[in-house]
Amino acid sequence: MRDRTFAPSRMLIYLVVSLFAAAYLAPLAVVVLNSLRTNEEIAQASMIGWPKQLAWRNYAAAWSGFCVAETCAGIRPYMLNSVLVTIPATIFSTILGAIAGYAVSLWRFRGDNWIYGIVTLGLFLPQQMRLLPWTIVLRDIGLINTLTGLVLIHTIQGLSFTVLFCRNYYVAIPHELIRAARIDGAGFFRIFWRIILPLSAPILIVTVIWQFTHIWNEFLYGVTFTTGQQQPVTAALIALSAAIADIPQHGVQSAAVIIAALPTLLIYLLGGRYFVRGLTAGAVK
Amino acid sequence: MPITTTRRRLLAGSAAALALPAFARAQSAVKPRLTVISQWSAGSDGAAITALGKKFEEKGGTWQHSPVPGFTTEMMNKLRAQIIAGDPPACSQLKGPEIAAWSKIAPTINLDALVAAAGYEKVVAPDLARLHKPGGKWISLPLQIYSTNMLFLSKRAMDKAKADKIPVTWTDFNELAEKMKAGGVTYPIANGGTRPDDGQKFEASLAGISPAAYRAAIMNLDKKALEGPEIKAAFAQARKISDWMDPNVGAQPYATNLKRFIDGDMGMMIQGGWAQGVLRNAGFKFDDFTITPGPSDNSKPVFLLNADAFIFWQRKEPDLQAGQTLMAQLVMDPAIQTMYSQITGSIPVRTDVDLSGEGWSDGQRRTAAALKDAVANNQAVLSLAHNMAQENGLTAAMIDVITEYVKNKTIKPEEAVTRLAEAVEGAR
Amino acid sequence: MTSAVSTATQPGRPATSEMVRRLPEYLTIWLPLLVSAAHLVSFSLWTIWISFTPSTLVPVSGWVGLRNYTAVLASRNWQIAFDNLLLFGSAFVLLSLVTGLMLAILLDQRIRGENVLRTIFLYPLAVSFVVTGTVWSWLLNPGIGIQKLVHDLGWTSFRFDWLVDRDMAIWTIVIAAVWQSSGFAMALFLAGLRSVDADIIKAAQIDGAGPIRIYRRVILPTLWPITITVVVVQLQFAISAFDLVRALTNGGPGIATQLPALVVYDLMFQRGQLGRGAAAAVLMLLILLAVLLPYAAWRYVQRRRSNHA
Repeated sequence: MRDRTFAPSRMLIYLVVSLFAAAYLAPLAVVVLNSLRTNEEIAQASMIGWPKQLAWRNYAAAWSGFCVAETCAGIRPYMLNSVLVTIPATIFSTILGAIAGYAVSLWRFRGDNWIYGIVTLGLFLPQQMRLLPWTIVLRDIGLINTLTGLVLIHTIQGLSFTVLFCRNYYVAIPHELIRAARIDGAGFFRIFWRIILPLSAPILIVTVIWQFTHIWNEFLYGVTFTTGQQQPVTAALIALSAAIADIPQHGVQSAAVIIAALPTLLIYLLGGRYFVRGLTAGAVK
Repeated sequence: MPITTTRRRLLAGSAAALALPAFARAQSAVKPRLTVISQWSAGSDGAAITALGKKFEEKGGTWQHSPVPGFTTEMMNKLRAQIIAGDPPACSQLKGPEIAAWSKIAPTINLDALVAAAGYEKVVAPDLARLHKPGGKWISLPLQIYSTNMLFLSKRAMDKAKADKIPVTWTDFNELAEKMKAGGVTYPIANGGTRPDDGQKFEASLAGISPAAYRAAIMNLDKKALEGPEIKAAFAQARKISDWMDPNVGAQPYATNLKRFIDGDMGMMIQGGWAQGVLRNAGFKFDDFTITPGPSDNSKPVFLLNADAFIFWQRKEPDLQAGQTLMAQLVMDPAIQTMYSQITGSIPVRTDVDLSGEGWSDGQRRTAAALKDAVANNQAVLSLAHNMAQENGLTAAMIDVITEYVKNKTIKPEEAVTRLAEAVEGAR
Repeated sequence: MTSAVSTATQPGRPATSEMVRRLPEYLTIWLPLLVSAAHLVSFSLWTIWISFTPSTLVPVSGWVGLRNYTAVLASRNWQIAFDNLLLFGSAFVLLSLVTGLMLAILLDQRIRGENVLRTIFLYPLAVSFVVTGTVWSWLLNPGIGIQKLVHDLGWTSFRFDWLVDRDMAIWTIVIAAVWQSSGFAMALFLAGLRSVDADIIKAAQIDGAGPIRIYRRVILPTLWPITITVVVVQLQFAISAFDLVRALTNGGPGIATQLPALVVYDLMFQRGQLGRGAAAAVLMLLILLAVLLPYAAWRYVQRRRSNHA
């Protein structure tokens, strides 16, 4: 509804929305508060509470202090590993997905519907099932225990999503535009660069946000296909939560969770508006 | 046997190992290097493996440890991936019957010569030795031992119950729990809610009621024993224990409740010695609790063996081979085992290490004494809950039944007996 | 799409030089698509093959017929997991649909602070499932979370112990999952609401229709295609829910919150029964197909209809 015609009920709307917002923020608030409480303080009260005094050293420990076996460098080196995997994999899967989506939607070719259907089915194939086949593939191409291998996996798996969303977006582009360009002698890439790409910002933002968060938050492949010094940030988080040989480190763990989530939170914070806009244009078809 | 003589013998052992052609060539020519995969990343586990790595480097080696945080499953995923890739680590954490199972999928190295040189076989409990030499050859080495059924008594809860007698049998235990409850201890049993936690409640019950039945039913999967009266009695005892536990623990680990245990809000804990390492690291004092062997109806200690071990995978590289030799020697070294156990709260695998000195706790001394007694009386059995008695598939199927029983009080003991037997049948 | 520019249907075969000239183009189109499709097809076939072998720790060849399938189907774990999937799947999809739609409608009322609110509802998507599961396991745990807090505040008879209640524990997963992903539903619905033609609404208003009537009669019917998309995406999430459950309940209390994805992972990698795990994975794929085929059929019919129109 675009009008402010039913003002009396607006109070109710604000009330309901605020309640929901509070509920959505509650877990974040708990983590933020816990990141400022000492482990002892949390152990003595409950997981929900106001910090008695701000334990900023949790952040120091989380960032560069706590140990994963012999490496006592906190979460920092693992953050870097995640950056090294996430950024290239996000870029590759987005670019390749955009080109493929463009081809499938605007340059129809024989069998395109089939191959498009199969690729998007990939969204539904469980991760656990793909672990062993990927092991064999990485072995055969010699990329096991390399960050390149992880980038490859995430690029290929990411295509399922990027192709789906880009295709749905490009289908809506008027074909006359393309036809006119072709009559002017523009080829496949020229049209992509000159016409399609400039129109693509909303959907590329959606795919970048989606890919970045998914790859950043991935754990299973990240620990299986790397050696100790290459592990992603999720591995360091798990090391903090595995409390078999340690009392719970809830304070430091919360601080680490906050630091590790900053990149993805920031992306949603900055890109949230475009996310909805891109979906409006893309996924709704 | 005092440490000094053993060390001298070990030195002699190293010399003997040097005489072996393959190892000799490796050791003299290159700087030893070791690639290791383990899940030990946090707390006392992480500290202990780090200390071991330092020792390895002090001896001139290069230590390349790849910790895989999380559940054991992720560690095994990593190991499996390396094996499939034809690039196994020189050495990795593995335990119990899984050692035999995994040794079938990739070649391991024969450690017989090194073990003989160190005289290790004589100082390892026979049941334990068997697990680490499938097919009669040593391919892996146990590093430390826990008993999963040590009984931790909270000093303050004992005071509340006005009790000073340490329980020996299950009857004593049950009486003490009632006393604690009456004395204002909210939950007489401090517990975690994980699958191994639940498993420990049952295995401690059964082994304490009848080690022979435990051996027949759980270790040998004897059908008749699995449906025997001892199993039903064990389920009944496990139910009593679960009635005294905090039902609110959810899937939290036992360590969540350590503070309440020390404070006397919870009374007793059936745990392995690892809890001691955690308690110490958390800054609690050893005077605040007592550690004693778990209840045993025949009054002689029952020891539920849980041992961490390293398996050694075949590698062609001379530096890795030299690293394997050095690592094997270190793992068997009484001084190293002492260092390791003193960090984690376990006891050494070697039965000849003297625990009277400083750095050992009373709990560790009692654990070691219990092991000696239990071995002598044939009452040392392998832990089910910690994957020592059966391969993982069977273990998990049995723990499914046990954890459901512990969490669901509408299941009757006799029903649980049937389900356990069925689960064994289904998983075989 | 009938008016799409077509290269494949151009009359005559392109000259060889033309083919060579356009090779980079073919490569960039086909290579990623083919690699992606090939990995999906071959991984699925591989899993199907493994499900008929006696594989344990690592894949081995051999043939055991349907033995792995009968073992999985007979196990309590799978039966519980399957029942849970039906309950969790329908409850979660329905609730995130309703929550998402409601939030979208509320946000569409030109309210102040829409940007902030939208970000609040969307941010859970940025958080990893492991973290979501862990944090909710704190909040919902009666011993350390909300119940404890309320008790400490003085209301000691307050009970909120679903996490440790066998019958209710599955709902804690629903809560956490709805919290995490209803923002996505909201975003899609909001997108849909924003693309409703303003003139239609104007016309309805001129006809004197009230806001509720306009929503029911004019706006919501246009949201059907989006609703289907949301349902499919959320169902996909429900079926593959793994990290979240593992961190929140790990299948407990007992085995009360087992789900198919957990069973697959457990059999394959924890229990060293790869063949059975593969069989469970294939059963999961069959469940997925049971969901996706009707969707595909619906899409097909819809497309035919729009092409004829």
